[in-house]
Amino acid sequence: MPRVNGTGQRIYAWFERRLQLEGPVKEAALHPVPRNTASWWYVFGSAAFTLLFLQIITGILLALIYVPSAAHAWDSLNVLNHQVPLGWYIRALHGWGSNFMVAIVLIHMAQVFLFGAYKFPRELTWILGVFLLLMTLGMAFTGQVLRFDQDAYWGLGIGASIMGRVPFIGGGLVHLLLGGPIIAGATLSRFFTLHVFVIPGLLLLFALTHVWMVLKLGVNEWPMPGRVVRRATYVEEYNKLAHEDGIPFVPGAFWKDLVFSGAVIAAVAVCALIMGPFGPGGQPDPSIIQTVPKPDFFFLWIYAVLSYLPPALETPFILIAPIIGIAILLALPFYAAEGEKSWHRRPVAVLVVSFVAVAWGSFTQLGTVTPWSPHMSAWSADAIPAKFLRGASPLVRQGANVFQDKQCRNCHAVGGLGGQRGPALDDIATRMTPDELRFKVVTGGGNMPAFGKNLSPAEIEALVAFLDTLHPPNQRPAVNPVNEVYTSTHASGGEDIPAAQGAPR
Amino acid sequence: MRKMAAVLLASTAAVLCGCHAYQRGEVSQPVPRPSAVLDFATLYGQNCAACHGPDGANGPATDLANPEYLALVDDAGLRKWIGSGMPGTQMPAFAKSSGGMLTDAQVNAIIAGMRKRWSRPGALEGAQPPPYAQTQTGDAKRGTQTYQARCAICHKQTRDEITNPVYLALVSDQVLRTMIIAGSPDIGQPDWRHDSVDGKPATPLTDQDINDIIAYLDGLRNASPGFAGTAAEPQSGAPAR
Ligand code: HEC
Ligand code: HEC
Ligand code: HEC
Repeated sequence: MPRVNGTGQRIYAWFERRLQLEGPVKEAALHPVPRNTASWWYVFGSAAFTLLFLQIITGILLALIYVPSAAHAWDSLNVLNHQVPLGWYIRALHGWGSNFMVAIVLIHMAQVFLFGAYKFPRELTWILGVFLLLMTLGMAFTGQVLRFDQDAYWGLGIGASIMGRVPFIGGGLVHLLLGGPIIAGATLSRFFTLHVFVIPGLLLLFALTHVWMVLKLGVNEWPMPGRVVRRATYVEEYNKLAHEDGIPFVPGAFWKDLVFSGAVIAAVAVCALIMGPFGPGGQPDPSIIQTVPKPDFFFLWIYAVLSYLPPALETPFILIAPIIGIAILLALPFYAAEGEKSWHRRPVAVLVVSFVAVAWGSFTQLGTVTPWSPHMSAWSADAIPAKFLRGASPLVRQGANVFQDKQCRNCHAVGGLGGQRGPALDDIATRMTPDELRFKVVTGGGNMPAFGKNLSPAEIEALVAFLDTLHPPNQRPAVNPVNEVYTSTHASGGEDIPAAQGAPR
Repeated sequence: MRKMAAVLLASTAAVLCGCHAYQRGEVSQPVPRPSAVLDFATLYGQNCAACHGPDGANGPATDLANPEYLALVDDAGLRKWIGSGMPGTQMPAFAKSSGGMLTDAQVNAIIAGMRKRWSRPGALEGAQPPPYAQTQTGDAKRGTQTYQARCAICHKQTRDEITNPVYLALVSDQVLRTMIIAGSPDIGQPDWRHDSVDGKPATPLTDQDINDIIAYLDGLRNASPGFAGTAAEPQSGAPAR
């Protein structure tokens, strides 16, 4: 017991007599850990735990002002941003804290996996960890909904439509998620309850149990190639290692945890200061459709994956992939409870982690840079590059009007502007003959809608005349080798005229 | 120590990457509802720039930055076309009452903005142009001659003529009329006073002349049934050939 003098000592003794915490705390703090586990690789778990507390504190501060009602949530965030002193900074800390927490939890998980720390007897620690990951992601998602801006609104809409695809009970699930058939006040109350009471409560409980087990079972030893885990002998070997070549957990390993946690908090603080809070974006109103909703950073990859999948595979992927993924994570410690821990002897494990990391990174990158959904205002906002109109014939100019008016631009970029749902058409004339263009426009195909019913013959001809001028000045447009009727001097944009139209002049 | 350095380096890199994914930002201003935007540049840029060009000119559709055009047309005329679209052309309706996205206040803001930015006092140099809207039908036969005398001097040279029925099927009489009276500086079409070989001043076209020319062009449009349909009433089905 520390030497405290006089009154202080007596007060301490009074409490200790009743709480009796000194023994367990001392035991936890001073228990020996293998010397080489006091490594900088072992700091991510404690950093995640520290971030959890940062989130709780900033979250409580935000809840003092935030109004969880559909009518006022958005306004109250703007009040926080602009009227409450430092309100914006608390929002920024909470937002960045969330991003850092997801990142650190993922890094922690990868590290635990690579170090074989999920093996006997730490299976349950890993399983709780899997749930902690899910809950952290759940917090990130519900938090994004509480922002209740357009992104939140449409994100929820997408979430609901995913739920709705579950066979048989889909409708019921949507109802449960939204608190009704539509996104409304009840929806926000539900997510507020989840984000503020349910998930954090469970998260804290699971996290404390997780930490308790780490302390009780000991920090995983540094994996050595050839040191194989066996149920029968592992505990004995570990204790021997910890006692013969061990150091007390505090301060031997703990100071590194402290330093790293401090660094992470500092990084959050700096990011929050420089980058500011997230949103809120536009008001959540279903009648506002001039929006390009984007999920938060950590869900971007889903966005990209979904837009790459053929439509037929979407539902199976959305419904089955997460279940398989979680099942694999949960089954892992049972499947591989024994055996080698060292990554030197586990090439498959290393490959899996690298593959997942690269895939996640690439899809996130794709989701960040590529506007997957049609660009809804391109038809009226994105000007036709002047070079394609210089000296263009009246018919070609009308074709350009048709191209814009029929919203081709929302899916097809020209001059780098426009949607990217379909290919850019800057040099389409070098790839397709007028007949092919006409056919494509009329019949569609792939993800291209058929426009045959929505265009008059004149509109189609004008459109084809316009598309046929889209080629670099030094490249001739494609011609149908069989159909020599098509003759035209395409050298300069000005005189393009599809002779195929053959109309009297 | 080396390991420590590596981990610290990696986490710094991770932090920097993470931060860079976002734009440098201060606290964002509350985003107004789209229907509350009244700024001309935003409204024009979002709704009109694609077809009428980023600065009102050099787009595929009417040169709106043409001061003569703005002197010719009144606010009611502009409001009509912008609000409910221009039948027989690709000009869509923008007013909420016609299924568009703009409020009446926004349409008015666009009109005021166009006038403020592009109108020029004395654009017509005191000349009295023929009325903006057509009031009488012309005579196609006379129109042929006027066309030959006043238009074909320039328009016979280009190969894709404005007499092309496919083109004519996509523009309304008013579009032709606007083009003839106000001209279109961005493509080099002269106004009604300058229809001569080099666009030099010439005898101004009269209302009668213009009605006649349009009657002549109408005849060409309707003589070619496949293309006679206008954009406003799309014809079903198959492409022209
Ligand atoms: C909903 C989005 C969408 C719209 C709207 C759309 N397209 Fe497409 N378009 C596509 C997609 C996707 C493809 C690729 C289809 C494929 O795999 O063949 C495509 C292909 C094309 C191609 C062939 C390009 C190539 O390189 O093979 C042309 C030409 C084309 N579209 C023209 C148009 C025109 C003209 C319009 C307007 C009338 C239009 N598109 C409207 C999505 C769209
Ligand atoms: C999809 C293309 C498109 C968009 C977007 C568009 N217009 Fe038009 N507009 C046209 C076409 C086509 C015409 C008919 C003239 C022509 O064919 O060049 C026209 C005609 C007009 C006219 C009448 C010209 C006359 O002859 O008196 C006005 C005024 C006009 N547009 C204003 C606007 C304004 C303001 C906006 C934005 C709110 C807008 N337009 C957006 C294509 C468009
Ligand atoms: C000084 C020469 C000149 C004269 C005279 C002239 N134009 Fe033009 N016009 C042009 C040019 C240049 C263009 C733009 C190039 C093109 O479209 O062929 C043009 C374009 C047009 C257009 C098409 C605009 C578009 O939407 O692309 C129409 C319609 C037109 N002129 C009508 C007429 C009529 C009717 C007359 C006779 C009253 C006439 N022009 C007289 C030079 C002239």
